[in-house]
Amino acid sequence: MSIDAMPVESAGAVKSGQYELRGEMLRDLLRSKTFRVGAAILLFWIIAAVLGSTLVPQGPYAQNLNAINQAPSAAHWFGTDQLGRDMFARVIVGARDILIVAPLATLLGTVLGTALGLMMGYFRGRTDDVISRFVEAFLALPVVIIGILGVVALGPSNGTVIAVIGVIFTPLIARTVRSAVLLERELDYVAAARLRGEGALYIMFVEILPNVLSPIMVEFTVRLGYAVFAIVTLTFLGFGIQPPSPNWGLDIATNYGVVAAGYWWEVLFDALAIATLVVAVNLVANSIEQVIEP
Amino acid sequence: MAIFILKRVGLALITLWILSVIVFFVGQVLPGDPGRAILGPLAAPSAVHALDQTLGTNRPVLTQYWSWISHFVRGDMGKSYSYQTAVAPLVIKALGNSLKLAAVAFVIVVPLGIFGGVWAALAAGKPRDRIISVVGLSSTVIPELVSGIVLILVFGIALNVLPISATAPPGASIPTQLDHLILPAIPLVLILFGYIEQMARAGTIEALNSDYARTAVLKGLPRRTLIRRHILRNSLLPTITVVATQVGYLIGGLVVVETLFRYQGIGSLIVTAANGKDFPMLEAGILVIGVAYMVATLVADILYSLLNPRIRYQAAE
Amino acid sequence: MARDTRKLDGIRDRRSELENHYIDELVAGRISRRDFVRKGAVIGMSSSLMGVILAACGNANSSSSSSSAATTASTPKHGGTLRLAQQAPAAAVNPLTVADSGGLNMLAQTGEFLILDNNQLLTLQPMLATSWKASASGAVWTFTLRPGVKFHNGQTMTAKDVVYTFKQLSDPKVASNALSTFTGVLTPSGVVEVDSMTVAFHLEAPNGNFPYLVSSDNYNAIIVPDGTDFAKWQSTFIGTGPFTLKSYTQNVGASFLANPNYWGGKPYLDGTAFTFYTSQPPQILALQGGQVDGIVQFTAQGAQSLLGSSNYNIIKLKSANHRELSMRNDQAPFTDARVRQAVAYALNRPEMISALLGGDGELGNDSPFGPRFPSSNTSVPQRAQNLALAKQLLKAAGHANGFSAPLVTEQYQEIPALAQVIKADLAKVGITANLKIESQTDYYGKATYGNSDWLDSTMSLVDYGDRGVPNVYLEAPLTSNGPWNAARFKNKTYDSLVKQYVAAVDLSTQRTIAGKIETLLLAQTPIVIPYFIDGLTATTPSVHGVNPTSISAIYLNKAYMS
Repeated sequence: MSIDAMPVESAGAVKSGQYELRGEMLRDLLRSKTFRVGAAILLFWIIAAVLGSTLVPQGPYAQNLNAINQAPSAAHWFGTDQLGRDMFARVIVGARDILIVAPLATLLGTVLGTALGLMMGYFRGRTDDVISRFVEAFLALPVVIIGILGVVALGPSNGTVIAVIGVIFTPLIARTVRSAVLLERELDYVAAARLRGEGALYIMFVEILPNVLSPIMVEFTVRLGYAVFAIVTLTFLGFGIQPPSPNWGLDIATNYGVVAAGYWWEVLFDALAIATLVVAVNLVANSIEQVIEP
Repeated sequence: MAIFILKRVGLALITLWILSVIVFFVGQVLPGDPGRAILGPLAAPSAVHALDQTLGTNRPVLTQYWSWISHFVRGDMGKSYSYQTAVAPLVIKALGNSLKLAAVAFVIVVPLGIFGGVWAALAAGKPRDRIISVVGLSSTVIPELVSGIVLILVFGIALNVLPISATAPPGASIPTQLDHLILPAIPLVLILFGYIEQMARAGTIEALNSDYARTAVLKGLPRRTLIRRHILRNSLLPTITVVATQVGYLIGGLVVVETLFRYQGIGSLIVTAANGKDFPMLEAGILVIGVAYMVATLVADILYSLLNPRIRYQAAE
Repeated sequence: MARDTRKLDGIRDRRSELENHYIDELVAGRISRRDFVRKGAVIGMSSSLMGVILAACGNANSSSSSSSAATTASTPKHGGTLRLAQQAPAAAVNPLTVADSGGLNMLAQTGEFLILDNNQLLTLQPMLATSWKASASGAVWTFTLRPGVKFHNGQTMTAKDVVYTFKQLSDPKVASNALSTFTGVLTPSGVVEVDSMTVAFHLEAPNGNFPYLVSSDNYNAIIVPDGTDFAKWQSTFIGTGPFTLKSYTQNVGASFLANPNYWGGKPYLDGTAFTFYTSQPPQILALQGGQVDGIVQFTAQGAQSLLGSSNYNIIKLKSANHRELSMRNDQAPFTDARVRQAVAYALNRPEMISALLGGDGELGNDSPFGPRFPSSNTSVPQRAQNLALAKQLLKAAGHANGFSAPLVTEQYQEIPALAQVIKADLAKVGITANLKIESQTDYYGKATYGNSDWLDSTMSLVDYGDRGVPNVYLEAPLTSNGPWNAARFKNKTYDSLVKQYVAAVDLSTQRTIAGKIETLLLAQTPIVIPYFIDGLTATTPSVHGVNPTSISAIYLNKAYMS
């Protein structure tokens, strides 16, 4: 299932086996239907995020106070919001925010989690125990609650959300990395490095790390889906970016109060956008997981 | 066994203690001023200062922490800065409301998940099985925000068959209260359904392939009886275990659902307290959730060890 | 118009100089009947007297005969419990500290004031005081109390209770919210019992609008028994009002029972029940779903389904509720009045009112003198959007290419939307406003200079609720030593004009000074006030006789259901 199931001949053999696997993996990935569907949707949103403003005829900020709360029509495919802004533009350009913040947050968590996991797995003993206690404490709370605490302490902004989610992911990813490292450290190439007199840091980051990359990559993609989920939720609750940026969670928060007046389009399209993005990321993550750890 | 439980409880307490420290110190780092938050922005600064003195927010942080935690464990959760009344009753009431909502969700999802899983297992490999699995797993991935909005739009607004506010009018009958809780329970159901269904399915397949089952079938026991007597019993306990591990996500879901459907549960209490810088309320709410989570995972651990003989014997050593 | 001059002369002889002044104004047509009634009530003229004067002036219909509320054709029916939805009180219901709309309405259910500011008739009415007079200087106001009024515990109300109440409200050591009204006006030593039914207020300085300051506008000023522990008031809700407390549950609701011993006569209703909500949409849903019979106060945003439907009675009240955009007059580029004027000229106010308020608002002319106040000088021209002029002014001030500045504001009602509209309007003249929308707690901070985003930001957008007179808004945000001067506006001429206005006791003087103030503010434009928001109340057609106020209280003593 994981890397440690591979036969261990020598460091060199493992390394070349690594690359070979990669080529096959990519081919398998592209053949997988799950991957293709997920990647297609993801690609759509990436294009929307990158090219957004040029694609939409009316900008997401352009207010028209004489055309507020208008239902979808030929002029406004997704209708207008309470300030007369084009909802279609806001949905398309709104992809930008989440597609920047979610990967950054996940990346932060992955980097920190990997470092932490390497240390916990390699050193074991006291350090491992103490850190594990703190990890337990963190995991006692759902992401949203920790997010609230973080934002209350640091103020609502994208930066805070990235920091908070990154910090939350760290112990989760660390756990996985730790298990992989625990297995790796028993292998010959590690012993060989120690014999050569290499320092702990060198062994951790230069010897072990490349061999635990696949579980890390799987973690990254899986967590990415959750990051999108958590960021949208935090923004909706008012703990993320503030108006007037076009942002799916924020627009839902602003507009769901008027839903009772019948202005369904002011929240539905944002909700659907969120759903498709989350599903797409999860599809991609699932297919990568299948390919790397069948 | 007893030692095992004690060890787990001990660990839980340490974790809760660490949590209380984190929560309290984060609460003290915040900008904003409780006296000001209570009296409002247009009150005279001297009045605010006087109130701050009364509230004791000018004391050193360690003193405040000790004062807070020593009262908290005795059940005195302090006085809400905003409401100037005891926090404990408000938090307990909110927790009760959230438990009501969670209970409605459980009552829907557990039977649904188990029967879905069993049904899928009985048709293992066939299209029905795959459809249920896909539906189950993809629904766990959809944010409660999204499912909540879609439910509100479809059932609350377009079809107008269910109320879109979870709070029934005061003094409403039980059926009315339940009526209001159906829509908000569904996003929570979606969070759990996939996992329960998978567990039940796996458990059912394993049981169907067990020696006992095959012998019973050979002996002529009708499948329905087999399922009822043997398999359902086997799938119920793993279900509870799964649910306990999902408590964290469930609580997170509660925060969103309670905000979306305007329900005075522990989730929306925390959001309001966070916005109003009502530290005692915020800290109490988070700690109470921590306790609830610990209790749930402890119960799950114990149940799991009861089920899993290997661990039970290890613990007995 | 047949004028009974002899009758008028007869009346005049017995009236004070001030009262005669108003009669002159009325006769000369310089004030309307309505304003006469208003101003007359302020200085203590009884409604029957005014009715006689108006009749003598040849005005057959007097506008102020009855005390309360909305017009109804049916005869009052007894019985029933009226259910209303309102904003949940944000904090403990303590008459001294209440500062929010939910809380103040609770005070108004069982508590009463010396004077009622009736916002539907736009006049002051006797409540616990039957008459009041100013000394010649306007620095001493004497109130005669209503006899035979009983508190809910059976105790009779006397001057001792009134004195106790106002000593507490005006005492800087007590930390009452009412200090924002009384600082500089009244101190505890100025509250004097003249006899068991008379109280005199010796003010720090002459104040022509003092009666408003002890009226229902000063929502903390309900009269309680001498020695009441205010912190415990929430458990008894003791007062003199038409209803007594049945139960109060934090965050859930409150219910009240009719007081059979009420001095104004037992209410038609058996009782009332209020349900608390933390936001507006569920209140609207509750009204539409029949769970409540009315909403105490709501805003147009999100209420389109109510306003567009003919199934509800909507009561609209002109109010002084407004939004104020301040600019740091001491920070570049706003040190130049031309730049500030440019900001004001960039805004399209009518569009704001129609889009953000659903049309339920009045134009603001960058001064606190809104249409709700009779002392407002309406001859000063209303500023309108003029993009060309704005750009010209910017160019003359050296900002031909525009500039950018932060605009900080709070998450409250329609204000985030207003901030975005302002941003869009300013963009049209090259000014980039960088929005920061914070929670109210963060925005207000410690509410002192240097510790508050509200007071310190380069551009700041704040909400100010309704008041009966503009005094607080002329002073606190704009005078050199004002505590809410987010604009850091320091103008000696302005300060002295405001002093004169506050002291002025007669209407036309007030109006003249108001005109000068308005003109000065237009020239200097330290702040921009784009609109005033009407107060909206909604009920089902079966509800009658409710008396809402624009500060979001509602009086139900004459309410009934058909």
